[in-house]
Amino acid sequence: MGNSATWGPTLMNQSHGFTRHGEELFVAQFSDSEKEVLINLAQQIIELLSERVDQHDQDPLAAMVGITVHDSPPDDEVLLRLLPNAYADGVDAAEFRRYTESVLRTKKQAHAMSIRTMLMSSEDGSIELNHELANAWLGGINDIRLALGVRLNVLKNSHEELELLAPDDPMRGVYGVYSWLGWLQGNLLQALMDGIES
Amino acid sequence: MVKIKSKIEEEINAIFSSDRPWVTIVWDDPVNLMDYVTYVFIELFGYSRERATELMMKVHNEGKAVVSEGTREEMEHDVARLHEYGLWATLQRGDQPL
Repeated sequence: MGNSATWGPTLMNQSHGFTRHGEELFVAQFSDSEKEVLINLAQQIIELLSERVDQHDQDPLAAMVGITVHDSPPDDEVLLRLLPNAYADGVDAAEFRRYTESVLRTKKQAHAMSIRTMLMSSEDGSIELNHELANAWLGGINDIRLALGVRLNVLKNSHEELELLAPDDPMRGVYGVYSWLGWLQGNLLQALMDGIES
Repeated sequence: MVKIKSKIEEEINAIFSSDRPWVTIVWDDPVNLMDYVTYVFIELFGYSRERATELMMKVHNEGKAVVSEGTREEMEHDVARLHEYGLWATLQRGDQPL
């Protein structure tokens, strides 16, 4: 598992992150560049999770109840991490995927959508989340981190190695955003956990 | 035919069995934050902070942990919700090795 506490300030760390206001309100202020990055990434997740292109020739009645013709795991590594197999057994996994993948895509898109639309409609970059929206943001930020994590290959590369990426390495920028999102998610979690008795 | 019959009996036994024979397993993952995994256990399962933290540490240290037990249908529901929040979860029969 990752640990947000070990990640220091990064290239993008300009805001103060989320703080709790009263019982059920979580407030943050984003700079223009932070807003832009988050909107962009949320948009990419929404597009990535769009149904596979050959969906139009499926049975419309099956589509209505959320059954897809696809039961094979996605080829794309990022999609496979976002839509993992529920069973080790291939037959059971395929059956489960047929009945649930479409719903899972929609739920994940809704999380990313709440990040995107709230930031787009906030002119000064201030965001206020209630408990439900905070959960949607947590899930949405997590999906972005999972996607970036696959691209950065955090499974193989340690954080120490990623810290040492050359300044001109394009992955360094990606790692900066990944770390910033971990920090942002960490302080939203902290604000939420402050309300939970130990 | 005998095989099908025993398969059906097995399923029926599983449905009515009181020992809730299926389990949901969460696997360790290098991206998900420790606090996040704990929080998801609290939110989705209503576990106390203490129990959720214990389970998170088990996943972290042992690579996996059983986080809920119940019928197959209940476990499919749990796995779907864990996937919604990006945790790496699978389900299987409880009497099978993890």
